[in-house]
Amino acid sequence: MGIQFKDVSYAYRGYKVNYDAIGHITLDIKPKGEFIAVVGHTGSGKSTLVQHMNALLLPTKGNVVIFGQDLPPKRHEKINYLRQKVGLVFQFPEYQLFEETILKDIMFGPKNFKSTESEAEVKAKKAAAIVGIDESLFNQSPFRISGGQMRRVAVAGILAMEPDILVLDEPTRGLDPKGRKDLMAIFQEIHDTEDKTIIMITHDMDLVAEYAKRVIVLDNGRLVFDGTKEMLFEHPQFDDFHLDLPTPLKILKTLEKEVGLVYKPHYDYASLLAYLKGVQHE
Amino acid sequence: MNNITLGQYIPGDSWLHRLDPRIKLFSLVILLVGTFIIPISADLIPIITMVAIFLGMMILTASAGIPIKKVINGLRPIVFLLTFTFFIQLFFITEGELLVSFDFYLSVASIGAILILFVFYNWSKKYIKFRILYFLLIVGLIFFVQAVLPYISLYTYKLDVYDQGLLRAGFIFIRITNVIIMTSLLTFTTMTTDLNYAIESLLKPLKWIKVPVDVIAMMLSLTLRYIPTLLGETEKIMKAQASRGVDFKESKFKDKVVQIISLLIPVFVISFKRAEDLGNAMEVRGYVIGAKRTKIDQYKIGFKDIMAVFVVTLFLAIIIMMRIIG
Repeated sequence: MGIQFKDVSYAYRGYKVNYDAIGHITLDIKPKGEFIAVVGHTGSGKSTLVQHMNALLLPTKGNVVIFGQDLPPKRHEKINYLRQKVGLVFQFPEYQLFEETILKDIMFGPKNFKSTESEAEVKAKKAAAIVGIDESLFNQSPFRISGGQMRRVAVAGILAMEPDILVLDEPTRGLDPKGRKDLMAIFQEIHDTEDKTIIMITHDMDLVAEYAKRVIVLDNGRLVFDGTKEMLFEHPQFDDFHLDLPTPLKILKTLEKEVGLVYKPHYDYASLLAYLKGVQHE
Repeated sequence: MNNITLGQYIPGDSWLHRLDPRIKLFSLVILLVGTFIIPISADLIPIITMVAIFLGMMILTASAGIPIKKVINGLRPIVFLLTFTFFIQLFFITEGELLVSFDFYLSVASIGAILILFVFYNWSKKYIKFRILYFLLIVGLIFFVQAVLPYISLYTYKLDVYDQGLLRAGFIFIRITNVIIMTSLLTFTTMTTDLNYAIESLLKPLKWIKVPVDVIAMMLSLTLRYIPTLLGETEKIMKAQASRGVDFKESKFKDKVVQIISLLIPVFVISFKRAEDLGNAMEVRGYVIGAKRTKIDQYKIGFKDIMAVFVVTLFLAIIIMMRIIG
């Protein structure tokens, strides 16, 4: 179960020529317990890849299997139900809001998947609580709240569908540092309490170092790395991926070069600080 | 979403591409006027003229290096209109010689057959490649079953086809086709920016009566510029809503209303936001409404432009002459 990619390629159709967005991708994503970061340059096919995960795009070659449902290039079966199992939050999801009130907008997803009005309301209220939207806002227009809050409402709209796997396309883009931290804390909370698999596209290596367990690196539509973040940052050919190092590792590398401190990888500030204090005591 | 043919520029370097856009637009207007001046009739001369114009258009298309397939695709949106007018003309003109006469029966059997055909068409059209031909075939079959299934008849009607009717129907058919081909030839060979310039400069005389021509031209060019952008945004919102369980293909009609709202409102909001951003960006770069502006491209009328004007004027003159004499 989960999501399997079997030698998947996708080409966008252009004028006279087709543009390969991704090519020959083979992946296996478990339905529980994974926190995957998808990284790569702009135009490396990250968004195209994640749109295959809830059948918004169908592969031009190869096969995607989502929770046991085959999705070969040409299909005629109904696939809408898969979008409930794999919830996809797009870039700038605040633009998808449209209802009169915030609560109604969050209820829109579950209602599309055959929940009754009262069931949808219960789910919506639960999702709103997870993302920290206060009850007093429920009857306000979604166009009258701040950008950060709009994004939370949009995320709640996906969470209310109770997906098994949550896919996020650059969820923190355009948010201020605090908004970014708060939103990531929400995802971490969901991952910890419900053991849901979370797949996240990001450009921010600090987020990768802090939250992700597994990292997928795309370059020019090809899968060039798939493994744990420790393996990625210690990879001998790391420079070939054209990725940035996370800030804690940058600090450690600089210290190694400038003051001769022994380099040991630490991925978040707390453990970095503990390590430095330990060194100081010696 | 990417199959909007009307108004699509096909890159090329033919003489038609290089013709001054103002001249091209002016010529199109003359040609259209000429085509509509020719009286609808079943006489030989107007029909020959129409066919000649059609052939001329085909030669123009070929000389501009436009694939015929593109031109035919441009006709696609008006297939229904064409078929409809053709049959109306065919059956309602009762002059001249009677060619054939059909007896049609609206009977229980034929209505049933029509319903079956209708359902079958809607179900099967997604598998058929040549949908226009298929549509025409089904229309033909609908009349055919009315002629051959008279069982339990409810109502009979007679349709007589006269030679005048057939000729006039054919005439109108070719006329509409000609008009569409002419217009699409212009849009195929002219970039929207050039077209916009042409409209602006042909509307210039209106400035004398205080019409803000340059503002209209700017609005027009911005509208054209933002069509692809908005289509892209629409596609994005469609996908985002599809992720929330809206399936524009698999749902029932009742749900479709809500689904269209879920698409329309976000696109509306985005276009307002875009407009505001663009307005600010233009002002920051010193755009003032009504101020004098210069152009990066300078257009010059050359020999072939004069020739083109000469030819289309001659064409119009001949048609007016024919109208007066005939």
